[in-house]
Amino acid sequence: MMVTKSHARMRLNDTLSLTYGALRGAPTRTGLMLLAMAIGVAAVVVLTSLGEGARRYISDEFTSLGTNLLIVLPGRSETSGDMATLLMSDTTRDLTLDDARALMRSRYIRRLSPINVGSSQLSWRERSRDISVFGATHDLLAIHHWKMAQGRFLPLVEMDRATPVCVIGARLSSELFGNRPPVGEWVRLGERRFRVIGVLATKGRTVGIDVEEIVVIPVASAQALFNEASLFRIIIEARDRDAIRHASAFIKTTLRKRHQGEEDITLITQDAVLATFDKIFQSLTFTVAGIAAISLAVAGILVMNVMLVSVSQRTAEIGLLKALGASQRQIVTLFLWEAAMLSFAGACIGLLIGLGGSWLIGYLFPAITMGAPLWAVVAAVGVALLTGLLFGVMPARRAARLNPVLALVHHR
Amino acid sequence: MLIKDLIKLTSCAVIAQRMRSFLTSLGIAIGVAAVVLLTSIGDGMQRFVMAEFTQFGTNLIAINPGKTTTHGASIGIYGTERPLTIDDAAALEKLRDVEAVVPLVQGNAEVESTHRQRRTTVYGISGDMPHAYRVEVALGRYFINEDPSTPRAVAVLGSKLRSELFGSRNPLEQRIRIGGERYRIIGVFAPKGQILGVDLDDAVYIPAARAQEMFNRDSLVEIDLLYRETADVDEVVASIARLLSARHGRDDVTITTQQQMLDVLGSVLAILTFAVAALGSISLLVGSVGIFTIMTIAVNERTSEIGLLRALGGKRQQVMAIFLGEAIILATLGGLLGLVIGVGGAQLLTLLFPALPVHISWNYLIAAETLAIVIGVIAGVWPARRAAKLNPVDALRSE
Amino acid sequence: MIQLQQIHRIFKVGDQQVHALNDLSLTINGGEYLSIMGPSGSGKSTLLNLIGLLDQPTSGEYTFNNQKVTTLSDDQKAVLRRDQIGFIFQFFHLVPRLTAIENIELPMVLAGIPSTERRTRVSRILDAVGLAERAHHKPEQLSGGQQQRVAIARATIMQPSVLLADEPTGNLDSASGNDVVEILEALNQQGITLIIVTHDAALGARAMREIKMIDGRIIDDGHQKPR
Ligand SMILES: Nc1ncnc2c1ncn2[C@@H]1O[C@H](COP(=O)(O)OP(=O)(O)OP(=O)(O)O)[C@@H](O)[C@H]1O
Ligand SMILES: [Mg+2]
Repeated sequence: MMVTKSHARMRLNDTLSLTYGALRGAPTRTGLMLLAMAIGVAAVVVLTSLGEGARRYISDEFTSLGTNLLIVLPGRSETSGDMATLLMSDTTRDLTLDDARALMRSRYIRRLSPINVGSSQLSWRERSRDISVFGATHDLLAIHHWKMAQGRFLPLVEMDRATPVCVIGARLSSELFGNRPPVGEWVRLGERRFRVIGVLATKGRTVGIDVEEIVVIPVASAQALFNEASLFRIIIEARDRDAIRHASAFIKTTLRKRHQGEEDITLITQDAVLATFDKIFQSLTFTVAGIAAISLAVAGILVMNVMLVSVSQRTAEIGLLKALGASQRQIVTLFLWEAAMLSFAGACIGLLIGLGGSWLIGYLFPAITMGAPLWAVVAAVGVALLTGLLFGVMPARRAARLNPVLALVHHR
Repeated sequence: MLIKDLIKLTSCAVIAQRMRSFLTSLGIAIGVAAVVLLTSIGDGMQRFVMAEFTQFGTNLIAINPGKTTTHGASIGIYGTERPLTIDDAAALEKLRDVEAVVPLVQGNAEVESTHRQRRTTVYGISGDMPHAYRVEVALGRYFINEDPSTPRAVAVLGSKLRSELFGSRNPLEQRIRIGGERYRIIGVFAPKGQILGVDLDDAVYIPAARAQEMFNRDSLVEIDLLYRETADVDEVVASIARLLSARHGRDDVTITTQQQMLDVLGSVLAILTFAVAALGSISLLVGSVGIFTIMTIAVNERTSEIGLLRALGGKRQQVMAIFLGEAIILATLGGLLGLVIGVGGAQLLTLLFPALPVHISWNYLIAAETLAIVIGVIAGVWPARRAAKLNPVDALRSE
Repeated sequence: MIQLQQIHRIFKVGDQQVHALNDLSLTINGGEYLSIMGPSGSGKSTLLNLIGLLDQPTSGEYTFNNQKVTTLSDDQKAVLRRDQIGFIFQFFHLVPRLTAIENIELPMVLAGIPSTERRTRVSRILDAVGLAERAHHKPEQLSGGQQQRVAIARATIMQPSVLLADEPTGNLDSASGNDVVEILEALNQQGITLIIVTHDAALGARAMREIKMIDGRIIDDGHQKPR
């Protein structure tokens, strides 16, 4: 025992070995406290990486739609955030193919596609399926980064040409045609006949519709099919990130001019939507981490409790240290080190468990890219240490204030 | 051993180590408080959303064109080659057990009064609408079922739109322009509030056929149907499907009952509440480690007492009961403390944020307390078994 | 009433064996007053624990009240201990957080005796050991002699047929030790079999039958000397 009177402070390695000895002396107890701390830290780590994974998932979904996108919807409501009504609303003034064509003139816009969607029945011979129809143009393939499995996408023609051709999703193709090559076959959409010119290879969803089960036809054909004069939306890809701002200004002025000075469209930029989602998920992750962190406080209380027990059980030892000349400060330091070591070790174990758990979840559900954000890891370990120290103060002070005579006598 | 004596013996041990028992219980209390608070918020939200939905009644059925759906809504509302028509709606009125049928056209247009203008939602509907949606006419009247083929240009305002356009002035019999066409105001609805972000008060209501003209379409977005409370939903749904199949030549509509929607919504919200409760339970887990630790320490400290009990003729189960009892008392007290903190916290929340729907449900309180007790049993059982298994001679020798 | 035949008790410590009791046979009749003496480590406590059914012989037969007890279950032995055997220890073994009364009540609590009956029995016995005015004191507020008297009261409250005392005066000064021994002897006069383990030769000599042990064997069994 290296408690020398000449030094006001003990040497660090002596403190550590004393503390380590004390912790080793009661392995069950130490193990349980480590467990408690570890649960808290692991919970924070796993939950934040789940939140982060969900955020990345959504953001990937959005980016997979394309890059630097802007979307024009017909109609505008002055009630803020009223997207639900807007999405299913008609307007007095249609958003037309001519509007879309007018937007093509901007140098800030790389490509665009007018869109109409609707529901119909696709049939080939006796087989038929209820499907979603996308009316679009040639450029949609590039905008959405879609890939073709067979054949070609819609031809590059004037927007208002209603050619009777269609491109179908991969699953639709196999369900309807089995192993036969669908390209070149004539299918029926409602009452009209279309020739299959290609099959999409892309998986996933767009605007919530499964791409593997859609039929893409020229937008003019879709308008005729659904007897619909207005577009559902126009999807626009800006030239680059910086062009988004200019493009959106251009879109607004152009369409206002075309609509007799009335601002009756809604413009959404992909960036803005992404930012909103990011914010939502971040605060969600934060809340979840906060709730999980409550368990760290509980672990801190446990540390305090066990240290109090340990102080009363080690009364004789403390008395001896004091008799040998240890100062109150030294005893406080000793016990605080014990608390710090406990919480730090617990936090490290928790971190390992948490990272392992995150990895496991990522392994089991490959769709989610798990990854605990750095701030969460740092905060979890930091909070663990802090609670450990905070709750260690009271037992340490109690130990330091023990009367050395009583402390020695106390034990038989 | 009498149960009374068991309680006395165990509580005596708990009281003898006041500080230690308090801290152990506090660990459980924080966990229980977290669960209670979080479930109160979750339950409050659930009730709030459910109330929002049921304010339209529960025996509604929505019919949308098309079979394929996205985000729970039919794609067909955006476009379909075989649309729902006002004639379909009229035909549905003749079905058995159908009380009201509302054809729905929805759009967005500029509304102008003499002084002000505002872009807002326009609903094209029928005279059945107030009955079906349970809305009251606050002022004037509503368009009574008239000949749907030649509807007059009359409009009923939502309460918010009324104050936007007219302030406190009387809007009745005033002329307004909707999408450039002239309409006469015949009534104002009582406030209905928002439902899932859709503000029904900031809207204007006109006959469906008029709206179709205005938006240049001859289809409907939806037909809503109110059936008699005594009727069997499945039968009503089946008869709707039969009728529309016959009229359209094939089955090309999506029929959703309000009850289905409520069920789905209810289970989603319940899962959410449960997930939130599970989050809170992490603290309970840590609290249970606390009980376990303290009971293990207690068994170690009181080994010779255990030996004594055995020498005095205590059976193994009796020793076990005493230590398990202590764990259960710690957990129960912690649970009760947690209930107090949790309920207090929930009350404080309602005081601080009156808009936050908080609902303290007895079920969750009882469940949380039961959970705490179960945790006490689980965390106490291993140390108690260890105590019971101790060899009495060794136990007596330990000091 | 107590019959031990060829009892062996072997402790295993690591791979070493400690023969604490070695081929020991002993018969004790009801109402006897017995002292067991011998050097430290000779097996006295082991023998007492065995008689008190706290321990199990490695081999040999033990008959208690004409009942073979080596085959009894753990719970059956607990009941026998509770109803027939009283223990008195060198270190008193009182529960520190319970008052004198509550400590004395403990065996009755374990036996499930209702509190009204307990009260009458306890007050009677408190008088007998002369602790009536200390009834509600905690052990730490009692002297060693008083604590041991509480322990005796607790050991006799169930009216056992045997009292086993392992160095009951080992932690007491001679005056209070004497008090304790007198109480014990008075109980023996009432018919309780009394077995005392002690290092104190004077105390050992007071017994009617002195047994001397060395290395787990009885080397001297001073049968029934006249009083
Ligand atoms: N649980 C045990 N495990 C191992 N050895 C034991 C155990 N209990 C007793 N012994 C050994 O058995 C022998 C007899 O012990 P016992 O306690 O009966 O002696 P004793 O006569 O009571 O001595 P003392 O007078 O010191 O109390 C000793 O050698 C002791 O070391
Ligand atoms: Mg001994």
